[in-house]
Amino acid sequence: MHTSVLTVSHLKKDIKKKTIIHDVSFDIKEGEILGFLGPNGSGKTTTLRMIVGLSRPTAGDVEICGYSLKKNFVQAMSQVGCIIEGPDLYGYMSGYKNLELLGSMSQGVTKEDIDSTVKLVGMENRIHDKVDVYSMGMKQRIGLAQALIHKPKLLILDEPTNGLDPQGIHEFREIVKRLARERGLSVLISSHLISEVQLMCDRVSIINKGHIIQNADIKDILATGEAVWTVNEPEKAQQLIKDRFGLETTRAPEGLKALVDMDTLPAINKTLIEAGFEISFVDNKKRTLEDLFLELTEKDKI
Amino acid sequence: MIKLTQNEILKILLKKKLFLILLLLLIFVSLFSYGQQFAYERTVQQFEAETGEMDFDWRVLASQRLEDLESRSDNEFIPEGVRASFDREIQQLSYFIDNDINPITPTAFGFNAEFAEQGIGLFIPLLVVILAADLVSGEFSKKTAKMLLTRAVPRWKILLSKYLALLMMTTLLIFMVAVLSTLVSFLFFGELGAGEPVITGFSVFEGTLVSDSTILISRFQFSVLVYSLVWFVSVIIASITLLVSVAVESSSSAIGILMASIIGGQFLQFFLADWELVKYFFVTNLDLPSYLTGSYQPVEGMNLSFSILTLAAWGGLSLLISFILFNRRDVLV
Repeated sequence: MHTSVLTVSHLKKDIKKKTIIHDVSFDIKEGEILGFLGPNGSGKTTTLRMIVGLSRPTAGDVEICGYSLKKNFVQAMSQVGCIIEGPDLYGYMSGYKNLELLGSMSQGVTKEDIDSTVKLVGMENRIHDKVDVYSMGMKQRIGLAQALIHKPKLLILDEPTNGLDPQGIHEFREIVKRLARERGLSVLISSHLISEVQLMCDRVSIINKGHIIQNADIKDILATGEAVWTVNEPEKAQQLIKDRFGLETTRAPEGLKALVDMDTLPAINKTLIEAGFEISFVDNKKRTLEDLFLELTEKDKI
Repeated sequence: MIKLTQNEILKILLKKKLFLILLLLLIFVSLFSYGQQFAYERTVQQFEAETGEMDFDWRVLASQRLEDLESRSDNEFIPEGVRASFDREIQQLSYFIDNDINPITPTAFGFNAEFAEQGIGLFIPLLVVILAADLVSGEFSKKTAKMLLTRAVPRWKILLSKYLALLMMTTLLIFMVAVLSTLVSFLFFGELGAGEPVITGFSVFEGTLVSDSTILISRFQFSVLVYSLVWFVSVIIASITLLVSVAVESSSSAIGILMASIIGGQFLQFFLADWELVKYFFVTNLDLPSYLTGSYQPVEGMNLSFSILTLAAWGGLSLLISFILFNRRDVLV
């Protein structure tokens, strides 16, 4: 059931003898929404360009639904719909003509497919106007439509909500979530907006300076918090926690510190009390994706 | 492939370039036909005023011109090169008079051939450049390449469809030049002249007209011949334009580069005709119809087949490099 729709393995990219992307690997399973999070200039777009075949990797390969992008470009790309850095359409044509034109480049796209996609993105009323007169939000919708028109298994969106108003962002998010739920569509969304990723994605890959620094489930990240115990005998407590829960703690002026799954915190507390420690203070701080992101990316400032 | 080519043709048509080109053509063709008609009427008026005759006879005027040329050629102070060209004109003109061919009254078919002959070095190549320069670079400067190249179609097919569309549009363009110049000039001259004979294949050997290579064909046939050459030249220009369009990212630099090389090439030919290498430059070889009249040789050692081969090599190489570049290119827009 959960087969990989996209497997990115050991992707590397040199531009002008400088390595921009170092050994990036991750994968996306069916129906999963992966957030690709990183600060500006971290290599998000460069990586996505390689995944959709716009740019040639220096090393490594991309597999889409089992087809290698290098060896089977056509089969691999027939499973992908994408918007890379904004929806750039043919301005001198109507939105509908754009969809017809791009749709005709894929096998078996019918008029009904185009019409239903137009309906899905809510553009029925203005679809025959020229793209030049569209607002950013409308262009984004047509961009999404062109990415969906050939019923791909994988949708790749690069900063999809840039330039949208809050209402547009909300609608966009709902459409993507619905597609993942109803059609089993896998989605890769790159963003530097943490809240967006937190709201939309199942998993997140954090990239900085061309390295993937964390692959994690959003649920796990949100469930993990930082706990602080102020106890009378810190060394012994430290040992106990390690023995019982396999958890490494660190000593800080205010006490013992550790990253803990919030569900196990009561159990740890209970064990400490039962072992006869005097706990004068326990604190837990819920960690957000933002904390993790900042922690991981701020280590080495530019 | 057919669908892809249709798409590309649609893009060219919707950009309304062809309309712009049509407008340019219409302006120039009308201007030139009007000018030619005007010049002809003045010649006739002058003739009538000078001779006092009311009936214009081209033979009298042609003989007058012949005498004039002969007396100028007899002048011993003119340089050798100029005298040679006078002698050539004298020989041609006397051939016309002997064979009863009217070289003076303008006709539509005379005009369309002449328009093509004059336009082939600069005007028609520029029209092709206008048509083709943004074929690929436009997709990059407008960033639509991202949409185009992420569909399930290999890149060579996309470029091939663009090239096929361009070939069709270039053919249409040449057809438009032929039809427009014939129609518009016919409106001015009122004289079609499709059946009139025209002399081609003149070659001057040691200063005398060798008539065994002279072919007498109708003006219609001659125009077809000239326009075939124009078509060939345009296809080569289109291929070179494709290469430049693939190599640069902005349409305006593509147009700039091509204009500069075409105009610069004309200078090169003018100033450096002694330099051997100049004859291998494509611009030097554009003027194919001039070979039809025999005596043309822009740089020592050039002839019709040399020019056709040189142009074909430029076209073929441009195409090859275009495909290699386009296939390898990293799209970073």
